[in-house]
Amino acid sequence: MDEKELMAQLAGLEEPAVLATIVSAKGSTPRKTGARMLIGREGVLAGTVGGGCGEGEVIAAAQDLFEGAPPTTVRVDLTDDFTTWSPAVCGGIMNVFIERANPERFGGG
Amino acid sequence: MRISAAQVAARVLEALEKGERIHTAVVVDSPDRSLIGRRWWLSGRRTRGTLGSPALDEAVAAAVPSLFPPRESRGALSRDFEYSEGGSTVTARVYLELHGPPARMVIVGAGHIAIPLARMGAMLGMRVEVLDDRPEFAAAHRFPDAAAVRVIDFRDPFAATPLGPSDHVILVTRGHSFDYECLVRLLRMEAPPGYVGMIGSRRRVRATHEQLAREGFTTADMKRVRAPVGLDLGGQTPAEIAVSVVAEIILFHAGGTGAPLVEKERVVERFFGGATGRRAVPAGGGRSADVRGTDTQTNGD
Repeated sequence: MDEKELMAQLAGLEEPAVLATIVSAKGSTPRKTGARMLIGREGVLAGTVGGGCGEGEVIAAAQDLFEGAPPTTVRVDLTDDFTTWSPAVCGGIMNVFIERANPERFGGG
Repeated sequence: MRISAAQVAARVLEALEKGERIHTAVVVDSPDRSLIGRRWWLSGRRTRGTLGSPALDEAVAAAVPSLFPPRESRGALSRDFEYSEGGSTVTARVYLELHGPPARMVIVGAGHIAIPLARMGAMLGMRVEVLDDRPEFAAAHRFPDAAAVRVIDFRDPFAATPLGPSDHVILVTRGHSFDYECLVRLLRMEAPPGYVGMIGSRRRVRATHEQLAREGFTTADMKRVRAPVGLDLGGQTPAEIAVSVVAEIILFHAGGTGAPLVEKERVVERFFGGATGRRAVPAGGGRSADVRGTDTQTNGD
């Protein structure tokens, strides 16, 4: 999915969603600053902030925002991720900002 | 007024549709936690939303031109901004994006080099436009990747092609008198294209410059033209020449050195002693590791 398609999906969201954006990255992160992902209550709707490399942390943190947690920055450190099968791909640190993409759709929460 | 990421996305799409540039900003960290997630956009003189403080809005708006050079059409970065609020200095971290119409590659001269050049320009995500005065060359079927192919008159080559600082113009015409006609106009523009390249042998470039000098242009003017255009790769065929031109355009934007990475990184010299003929210590299978310089591709802070 290209940037413009994701932007169109973000603009036209009907269900509550959380937007995750890489706002800074250092080292060899799989995606760079500006990469985006949309997360719904049931999981990823579109985009990616790096696939297996730390994306799970971001998705987990996004769930709190559906429960009313404020926007925040998730720091994903991939430099000591020994569990990753491909250390060559993941070796940086990235800051991923997560926020409600469309607070108007979140109802009272 | 509070605006959401979804609302900003709708505005960005609208701007792209109209070919406008738009900058967006969101507070990602601040001592006043209520500001986090506040956003704002700026397009020309229009702006909407707020980062939660007029002083912060102003600081960010003032920094935008230096953070995103006019030749760029995309950008994303985070910066700390200091502003004063109620007599004290506050620092907030703001994430900014630039969305603009795609960079343009305008190729003047629709001959054999223009064909691979147009394809490669499109591969780089540029909007490619090809101009020539010969209808049989400036024909859409020859340039399937080009967004526009125009038959022009060299007496006013850019009449139907308004140019600006984010554009790339490459002159590959069939003669230096045509290049000259283009250069005179390009060099006199109020907001000339950020990248102007002209193909040619040393002799041909010299002849064009001599003509410019006779017209009163200075050496500073001549230096604004990349001529001969391209990196010194040693290639000869139209495709090889096109690679050398697009390589220079990438270098122009990305700011590399243009040198082979093996010479820049010198992995063998650095980590394996370097003395010629010495038996290398570790390294599996005799092949050096994948040296694509990924660890130099840092961004943000």
